[in-house]
Amino acid sequence: MKKYLFRITLIAAFLLFAGYLLYPTFMDSYYESELERLSDADSTKYFDENEASIRSARESRLKLGLDLQGGMYVTLEVDIIELLTKLAKNEDENLREILDEVRTESLTSDEAVIDLFGRKFESRGMRMSRYYGDIRDDNGAVMTKLTDETEKAVDRALEIIRNRIDQYGVSEVTITRSGNRRIILELPGVSDEQEVRKLIQETAQLEFKLFADENTTLKAFGNIDKALLGKPIDEPVDTTALAGDTTDAASKSMASADTTESKTDSIAKANMSDDQKLAEWKKENPFLALFTATQYGLFATSDQRERVNNILKRDDVRKAIPDDVSFAWSAKPQLNNEGAEYYEFYTLKRKPELTGEVITNARAQTDQAGLGGAVVTMQMDNDGSRDWARITGANVNKRIAIVLDNAVFSAPNVRQKIIGGNSQIEGMENMEEARLLEIVLKAGALPAPVEIIEERTVGPSLGEDSISKGLNSFLIGFGIVMIFMVLYYQFGGVPADIALIFNVTFILAILAGFHGTLTLPGIAGILLTVGMAVDANVLINERIREEFGAGKTMRAAIDAGYARAFPAIIDSNLTTLLTTIILYQFGSGPIQGFALTLMIGIICSLFTAIVMTRVIFEITLDKAPGIVKFG
Amino acid sequence: MRIFQNLNVDFMGKRKIFYMFSAVIILVGLASIAFKGIQFGLDFKGGTEVVVRLPHAVKIGELRSIMQQAKMGSIEIKSFGTDTDYIIRTDQKGVGSTISDNIKIALNQSFKQGIEILQENRVEAKIGSEIRRDAVIAIFFALIGILVYVGFRFKFIFAIGAVAALFHDVILTLGLISICTDMIPGLNLEFDQAMVAAFLTLVGYSINDTVVVFDRVRENLKLFKSSAFEPLLNKSINTTMSRTILTGLTTLLTMVALMVFGGEPTRGFAFTMSIGVLTGTYSSVFVAGALTLDWVKNRNTKITF
Repeated sequence: MKKYLFRITLIAAFLLFAGYLLYPTFMDSYYESELERLSDADSTKYFDENEASIRSARESRLKLGLDLQGGMYVTLEVDIIELLTKLAKNEDENLREILDEVRTESLTSDEAVIDLFGRKFESRGMRMSRYYGDIRDDNGAVMTKLTDETEKAVDRALEIIRNRIDQYGVSEVTITRSGNRRIILELPGVSDEQEVRKLIQETAQLEFKLFADENTTLKAFGNIDKALLGKPIDEPVDTTALAGDTTDAASKSMASADTTESKTDSIAKANMSDDQKLAEWKKENPFLALFTATQYGLFATSDQRERVNNILKRDDVRKAIPDDVSFAWSAKPQLNNEGAEYYEFYTLKRKPELTGEVITNARAQTDQAGLGGAVVTMQMDNDGSRDWARITGANVNKRIAIVLDNAVFSAPNVRQKIIGGNSQIEGMENMEEARLLEIVLKAGALPAPVEIIEERTVGPSLGEDSISKGLNSFLIGFGIVMIFMVLYYQFGGVPADIALIFNVTFILAILAGFHGTLTLPGIAGILLTVGMAVDANVLINERIREEFGAGKTMRAAIDAGYARAFPAIIDSNLTTLLTTIILYQFGSGPIQGFALTLMIGIICSLFTAIVMTRVIFEITLDKAPGIVKFG
Repeated sequence: MRIFQNLNVDFMGKRKIFYMFSAVIILVGLASIAFKGIQFGLDFKGGTEVVVRLPHAVKIGELRSIMQQAKMGSIEIKSFGTDTDYIIRTDQKGVGSTISDNIKIALNQSFKQGIEILQENRVEAKIGSEIRRDAVIAIFFALIGILVYVGFRFKFIFAIGAVAALFHDVILTLGLISICTDMIPGLNLEFDQAMVAAFLTLVGYSINDTVVVFDRVRENLKLFKSSAFEPLLNKSINTTMSRTILTGLTTLLTMVALMVFGGEPTRGFAFTMSIGVLTGTYSSVFVAGALTLDWVKNRNTKITF
């Protein structure tokens, strides 16, 4: 056995690794079936108890493509021509003419719109600085600026959309940049296209809002609590108790993390140390009890956030909210000391003090004071500056929230009256945070116009259909090949069949490990791999037959078979691999899924067909030479 | 079980017959492409399509008149596998979702019970032209890559033979697809992205097959240095024949399984791959070696490794 030790260890290591990669997928389907099996109340409880492991399993399971689980695939393109129109300092007949020409040409040309645009100016001998940038800039300098602007416009569009999707609460969304001005959105499980389109194409709303004063806030919460009193909070489960539990746990963790007394008592006049009073208080304040209160404000986990949002959507609750109040969540979660994510809940004045159109520029910079932090500077136009001076003057030492599409990105404290429209926002932890705020501030002034150029929606029933049919055809094809191999080669077909099973396992494991998705073309790819992967074993077995027929001993025939078949296997698989790599490069979406599975399959088949099968042959030859036959 | 044991057929001597056979099929295919054409799918044309599942079976004609009543203009209606599932497609331009909404409204009015939307796609024409361009580039690069690899691992003339055989496969399959379009009920052979994948994969499959034969030629050239090229080619093809057929068979079986049981979305792909496996197998036995042989004979060169 010793001489096989290395190879057996290698195979075992691969198997263990594959098991490790596929384990979350097993666990995920186990949890899914458990949650399905349990009744509503129990399943919520089960979810809360196992939340961490359920989430981590879901995170690293083998994901299904949109064509299998249903959902929406959207390709967006930033409308550069629209952007150029908006960026122009002044618009005249000449510019409009050029833009029209560029629009027509861009439909058929592969060239970047911005380059087409630049060439039009060159060919007319016109100066771009008439419309863009500084009057002294030459065309080259203006082009550099415009190219930079288009880059930033894509970033902005991406951020705006990400923000909205976050608020909308779709899970497992992927948002990726593609090429230099496209954004690809993949929204699993979403089939309400109208809603998504609205989400994507609405103009961004940037607002500056003051915090509601304490009395109004108390009144708003009081009213909502009163409206909810005696009613179940969310349907259909009575989760009042449940919500209380999690709040309790969360508030304990927050309290211990911040080592501060909860401020809830000042609002609710309840004594935190007294369990009964707390329960009583929770009953009386079902809404407020959903939050985790700290000295900094109200916080909620993403699950709690969803509960709160559902409550705020209810008619009876909406009526109870005072007219001058609006609620908003922080755009990004904050981490407490234990690493749990919390969103801050803001109670703001409904009417914005100022809207984003007045912002002329914003820039993220490193802190000049040298403290290592980052700041964002912001300039406003004349009208805006005048208003800003009034607003800041009247609210020194109060906070103003910067709100994009109803999500709060920053809520700085006003230090002094700001005259002249140049403001500086401090307290960003790093440059990344500052850049995000820069993007947000600019979004108000200069929206990034996007158009949907491709939209594919797969309904859930087609997805289910595809899964079951894909799986069926795979099992049937797989079964036929396995039976065929044993019929044709007798014992010689057994190692090939074992190799096939492992090959498919490896493909799935690697796909899960690389966070790839299994698509319908992917299943077709695996099936095709099964058909083609046996090729290596067919080559080897045919060769062994030949050598055996030429009078060699079985052992010598097997050695010669593997050795002589090797160049053919390598050459034929590498050429096929070449075509799949090219397919991966040029294909999009599902086709890439197909190419990827084929690629992984070819590489895996080299290992399973050459290394694995040989070990099986050799060991059987040692132990039971009589059964080794090639038909 | 054994097939083709001790096979000894003079394939090369009959190569003129195979050339004729290929030429006829290719010509018929090209004629079909020229007159009947190839149907391009939404990916290439752009437009809007809605795939619906109707509450009960209907004829295409009924759907067509429903769409005409709704003044939908040029509408293309196809079965999506069964007589309750249909693709309704138009290349009309409309802002946002107006086109697909109109289709849905018209259907809802005619079928009082719930219709189910299986799939809804909208592709702008410019995406279509990009996909078309990418597809051509991809096939081109694949052929160049194979030419270089085979030229490097074997001899340049082998690469010429192999790539010529690939062209043969692609054109032949394309022609057969054109011929089969709308001939087989329930089989939708539109040219879309999955079809492009099928063609690239068949290129990959066919070269795989050809390389295995060439590998044996390379080996035999080293073993029998004094032998003439033609019998050597014959010998190589004959000894690899059972492998060629076996692998072709297993691959074909998986694709037939996919075609029969895999459902509508992958059927066109599976059909094209099946044809591809057949042409790929045929060409690696009858065409690739033969072309190399003719090239060698015309130039009067001798190949050694």
